[in-house]
Formats: sequence, structure tokens, C-alpha cells
Amino acid sequence: MSAQPKPLLAAERVRLYLTLVPYLLEHGQVSLAEASAEFGVTPQEMRGMVEKLTVIGLPGESGYWQQPQEMFDINWDLLDLEDVIEITNDVALRRVPRFTAREAAALLAGLQMVAAVPAVSDSGLVAGLISKLSRGAADAPADVVVAPSAVDEVREVVARGLQDGVAISFTYQAPDAAPTTRTVDPVQILITNAQWYLQGWCHLRQAMRTFHLDRVSEPKLTDIPITHGGDQVPEPFAGLDDEREVTVRVSERFAPLLSGFLPATTLEAVDGSVTAHVHLADPRGIKRLAARFGGAMEVLEPGVARSSTREWAASGLALYHRPDHED
Amino acid sequence: MAARIPAEERLTNLVVALMATEIGLTKQQILDNVSGYRQRADAGTRSDALEKMFERDKEELRSLGVPIETLGDAADPNDLREARYRIPQAEYDLPADIEFTPAELAVLRLAGSVWSAESASGDAQSGVRKIRALGIDGDEPIIGFAPRITARDAAFAPLQDAIEKSRVVAFEYLKPGEAVPRRRSIRPLALVDYEARWHVFGVDVDIDEDRMFLLSRIVGDVKVTTTTFDPALRDGAGERALAGLERVSAENAALLEVTPGTEAALRLGRRATPAAQGITVPFVDLHILADELASYGPEVRVVEPAALRDAVIARLQAVVDAHAEREEAR
Repeated sequence: MSAQPKPLLAAERVRLYLTLVPYLLEHGQVSLAEASAEFGVTPQEMRGMVEKLTVIGLPGESGYWQQPQEMFDINWDLLDLEDVIEITNDVALRRVPRFTAREAAALLAGLQMVAAVPAVSDSGLVAGLISKLSRGAADAPADVVVAPSAVDEVREVVARGLQDGVAISFTYQAPDAAPTTRTVDPVQILITNAQWYLQGWCHLRQAMRTFHLDRVSEPKLTDIPITHGGDQVPEPFAGLDDEREVTVRVSERFAPLLSGFLPATTLEAVDGSVTAHVHLADPRGIKRLAARFGGAMEVLEPGVARSSTREWAASGLALYHRPDHED
Repeated sequence: MAARIPAEERLTNLVVALMATEIGLTKQQILDNVSGYRQRADAGTRSDALEKMFERDKEELRSLGVPIETLGDAADPNDLREARYRIPQAEYDLPADIEFTPAELAVLRLAGSVWSAESASGDAQSGVRKIRALGIDGDEPIIGFAPRITARDAAFAPLQDAIEKSRVVAFEYLKPGEAVPRRRSIRPLALVDYEARWHVFGVDVDIDEDRMFLLSRIVGDVKVTTTTFDPALRDGAGERALAGLERVSAENAALLEVTPGTEAALRLGRRATPAAQGITVPFVDLHILADELASYGPEVRVVEPAALRDAVIARLQAVVDAHAEREEAR
């Protein structure tokens, strides 16, 4: 985890205790580092929670404190001296609780999403898991459905190259460019917004690149073993160094739509409209995005991006002028 | 005043207490004895305030999936003064016959990694942790695939909440081409991610018919009302919703002419069937297809339907108008 975990709310701590106790009982002695990584909290927070466990116990009778055996207890020496957690007395919470409706729904939707991944669909485990998650939920989860996406030949070949660790060659047709033949060491397949992207080391460009699989044709497995499999994948839509900045303006209510199409953009909101700075290899390429917004996006700078957007739409419009109406 | 006991400590003590009892505890026994309430009672907190706290705590625990059973007076089930509360172990525990293999855990870890939204991601991870707590170590993780689900619509969370509770919701819905949003009341049954857009499927209360709404067209807040509906309506709702979308897609087709070798030909070609003059592309929502077709500029021409052609023309005209040549043009 790169981001520093945030402090937990009371309810999250309760949820954590309900799983932490059976986890610790199952595993015996667990290092503080391992337990905090497992539960996504800082080691300090985990230590605090384990120490606090010792004030949890069965209810006392009025006026009397609980007996020691009625409380959770831990091996204090082990925790203090070796940063290792061990429960030495437990009074309840021994069993793993059912999934909450939300937990089940999040995993069920995730399963539908990964069902198209060849390693998953080949396993034949999805149907069984769906039934186990549904049956193991405390309350009926809300139906959160992810429509299945088709796996065509391109997706299949790319996935096979990834699994076999060999480079793939294909024809790539980027927008507004001539087709090129690429050989790529596949590193990762990114599936987002119902689109599949291949991220990998491009032999032609000698760099990591992201390829939209809709623009890939004639995919072939090569027998070249990959040499960049362990490389860091790029941010999916990150700009390249030599790219140029385009400034656009959209009304504030369309601003969330931008994040679906663009990499990290800088947004400035003023008087209900948002100005964004977009980085593109060719600033004229903004015409496609601007046209998708149907007038709700205005390209401000540079002038060449603005005029190419206008010309793009105007030449599209011209297709609908009948010859006998031409002026 | 006694030292404040943190809420998580009181709540966890309450779970332990309610699990340890077979016959149940009365509210008074809980307030007098469970650590967290006991100290407040001793410090002189009024009993009605403590009772309210107990009610809130019960709700909080139920939302965490902890089943709290209320055992009323056998003679008068509506009389809750002497009600007893307990957590039935059989309903709390993950059923013992549900087991997970290391290979299944590997698949679930990938499934749990798809959410980019913080709350759903936290729920998925928490679910995976429960399986890990059973003592299962997964196979090697499935690497090389990064599937992502985004759910950034603000309406998503309240709608999911309403579906879980079988509650009617109301919201303002803006259809494209209409000037003002219209108030809709629905019995929400399922959330559906179709072609990368979230939809809510439900029964429109006013006309008593199944309807599908795009979350991105919901304007303002979703109001979860106190009106409930029969949870049985939810059975199989996801499948009905998907089938409905596929039916619509099969019934709507656009006839298009595309310039070979262009982005339009490539992208539309993936889902098109060849026609005598051009290609046929199925669609669910005319306005969403029109947005996409406008982005292709001169690479595509709509032959029919006329409504789609008009929608694309209107978009292209609006783009031209928004980018008029500036006065200071060189």
C-alpha cells in the first residue's frame, strides 16, 4: 500500500475486531507488521487496538468488576518485547462472521468484472463463488450487476502472450495516424470503462506504452521471450514528455465526465465553469473529445486546436448537406 | 465524571455480551452491566439518553451484519418492555459448510481489487479478510490483469442503501432534450454497469412499470423515503435488468456509413454487422450513441434513424457555434 492508511471510525474498528479475533486465534502468533498489513492499518493503530482488546469482556454483575477469565487477554511480554500478537484468553468472537450485504455486493460485482479475465474464466470457479458469497451474506446484498464483456480474438491473443511471457506483434491504428506494426512485451492488461488496454514495452518506441485493443488488428504471438515483464507500468493515460498543453472549458456539471477520458488534468473552477489543461501529443487531437461533448466543451488554447475542432465538426456537418442544397 | 469509554469498546462489549447469552439480556441488564453503558449510568447519565444510545448501537451493529434478535413477551409480542436481546450464533457465523480453496481466494482477491471507489474497495477488502481469517492462504496472485470498476456517480451509494432496505426513492431526472428535470419515484431493485455507465433498474411508482435510469442524468440528491416495498421484488432483478437492456439493444439499430481505415471504422466496426449500404450498429441510448458519433466528425454519416441523424447534426452544429472564429483571429 502506498497511501498512508487513515484513522478508522468506531464502526470500522468494531468490524475490524470481529475479524481480527478469529484471525489471531487461527494463526496463533502474528507479528504486528503482518497483522497491520493484513488489516490495512498502521502498526501503531494495530498495537493500540490489540491493547484495547484486553478491556473487552463479558458483562460484570452490578457493582462487581469482571473476573480476569471473563476478559480478553494477550501475551503482553511478547507484544512489548518482540512486536508479536498472541491472544491468551478469549471470551467470544471466535468464529468468522458472515459477510455484510455491502461486502458481498462489492465482491459479487468484482467477480462479474473479472469473469472475462482468461485466468479466471479458465478456472471455472466463478459460479461456485457467487453462490458461496450469496449464501454467506448476513443480509441479501443489493444486486450490483456488471454486464459481461465479450472476449474477441485480439483480447485472447494478448492475454495468451501475457500468460506465456512472449512478445506480441500486431498492427496498431492510432487515431489520425498511419497504421504501424508493433512488437510489444505485454506487462499488464487494463480493463476500464468497458475498454481493454495493453500496457507493455514497445520494441519500436523502446519505451512503455498503452495500446487500446480496439485499435489492434492481426495480433500474433511471437516466440520472443519478454525482457521487460517486471517493468513499472505507466499511469494508463499519462502524458508523454514532449506533449503539448490544450486548455478547454466545460460547465461545472460536465466536469466529472472529463475524468473518464483524460489523465491527470488540472482543473480550475470559476463561476460554474471549469477550465482544464489537457496534455496531448498533438493538440489538434482534442477535436474528438470536444465533439463528443457536443458544444458543452469549448477549446480555448492553442488556436490551432480550436480551429481544428471547428473544422472537424464543420466537415462532419457537411456530410448531411444534400448536393442540390449546396451553396 | 468517569473516563469516557470509546464507542468501539462499548459496541464490541455489547456484541460479546449478546453472544454469550442464550436466553437474552433485557435492556436494563445491558445498561447496568455492559462496560461502556455501565460507567455512564454510574456517572448519572439519564436512562432515556442511555436507551437512545442502545437503539443507535443496535442499528450500527445491524449495519455491520451482526444479527440482533429481539425476544418479546410470549404472551404479548408487541410489549417490548421486558424484551430480551441476543445474537444467535448460527446466524452470526459464516456457515461452516462454506469453504474456500486457495485458488478461489486468488480469484476473490482479484475481484476485490477492481473497485476504485474507496468505500466499495474497503468493503471488498474486508470481505477478503474474513476468508483469510478462516486460515486460508491464497494461491499465487493472478497478475497481469488490472480490471477497474468506477462508480463516481453521487447517486450510487444512496441507491444501494435503498435497495438493501427495500425503500422507495425519489430524484430529479433530466432526460436529454428536455429543458427541466422531472421528479421520479421508483422502487429501486438493481444497479447495472452497462457499457461503462451505471444504471438503476426499478419500478416507476407513478406508472407501475419497470424502468431503467442512467445515474449520470440524476440531478441533485437521491431522497431515500420511509416507504418500503416487498423485498421479493428484488429477486432476480439484476438478470431482468440485463435482459431488458439487451432487448432494447437488439431492437434499436443505426445504419451508418463509415470511412474505411479511420477511428470510426475501427471502433464502430467492433460491434457492427455489415449492411447493404454501410454498417448496422445496435444501441441502447440514442443520445449516448450520438455523443460518440459526433466525436468521429466526418468519419461517419448517419443514414437512419432520423432522430439519431438529427441528434448528431445538432451536436456538430453546437460544436461549430461554440468555436466561432475569434475577432482577433489572425
